[in-house]
Amino acid sequence: MDLDRLQLETPRLLLRLPRQEDFEAWAAFAADEEATRHIGGVQQRGAAWRGLAAMRGAWHLRGFSMFSVIEKASGRWVGRVGPFQAEAWPGTEVGWSIVRACWGRGYATEAASACMDWVFGVLGWERAIHTISPPNAASKAVAARLGSAYLELGRLPEPYYQTPVEIWGQTRGQWLARRGASA
Amino acid sequence: MLPGPVIETERLVLRPPQAVDFDRYAELLADAHACRFIGGSAGRAAAWRKFLQMPGAWAVQGFAMFSVIEKASGLWVGQTGPWRPEGWPGNEVGWSFHPQAWGRGYATEAASAAIDWAFAELGWEDVIHCIDPENRPSQRVAERLGSRNLGPVQLPEPFDQSRIEAWGQSRAQWQGRRRPVPATSA
Repeated sequence: MDLDRLQLETPRLLLRLPRQEDFEAWAAFAADEEATRHIGGVQQRGAAWRGLAAMRGAWHLRGFSMFSVIEKASGRWVGRVGPFQAEAWPGTEVGWSIVRACWGRGYATEAASACMDWVFGVLGWERAIHTISPPNAASKAVAARLGSAYLELGRLPEPYYQTPVEIWGQTRGQWLARRGASA
Repeated sequence: MLPGPVIETERLVLRPPQAVDFDRYAELLADAHACRFIGGSAGRAAAWRKFLQMPGAWAVQGFAMFSVIEKASGLWVGQTGPWRPEGWPGNEVGWSFHPQAWGRGYATEAASAAIDWAFAELGWEDVIHCIDPENRPSQRVAERLGSRNLGPVQLPEPFDQSRIEAWGQSRAQWQGRRRPVPATSA
């Protein structure tokens, strides 16, 4: 797989690997208190860059990580969505973060849906989870639209999350059955 | 795996980081004494997140520190090379080594090769090393490389509260002290 050319396309979005050119928009998202409220809080530029580098690094060390999400109409970076499994993570996750300016358009569901197809179809995952902070109603709504359900309470590893998270998810069989029914 | 340059010195191989390096990196990060000047110790999950920054930087910037492999044992012994994350005070060539590999001159040998590479491939006009004022062993490495103490610098978070000094030299100074490598050395 040539990672530099890997791209998923949806009706309104392009998903590709994170790049240095994404950094200003990535850093602006990281500095947005409301957007980062449920995902660890704000970060300054130095920490935000390390986060972008680490997200890209996971592609090369694990073979998968989150995609940068580009809005086709504008060419803007509008978030990061995709597979994620840090060391000691509670499972194989498909996660999503969309910039606040684009909330309410269904981008998270659209991008995550393409990623669910990819993790089950290409990576061969048996299950996809979503780790969601208990007050994060918006993300739970996305999970529900994907057909995922609340599974259990869980805990993320250090370095920065010590509070419990809700683990939502579904199996490969459930996803494929759902996709088959709507095809 | 990341494509990238591979550099050989007399006793070491420098190459981009790979997943197989992580266990030994995590050992270094778990050792509070070994990490006291490089951000402190970290558990395995935090060490993983830090470790990812290096291959990520290779991919997004085109350069970062190399993993250093000891030829004789095949073991990962440290990281050395160019490092310039967002907000960094200059073009650093830095080093950190597994405590089992200390005291053999590996940092000087690896950093020397990495500085040659940085000047040749990245077009840098100078090089610095960000060193804690109490880190005498690293100061001695910097001196052996011909660098001198340039004074305090401000690092971005998460190191913004640390007192750090930059040691360094110019490209001209480095090239002035280096002799061409004899053909017989690998």
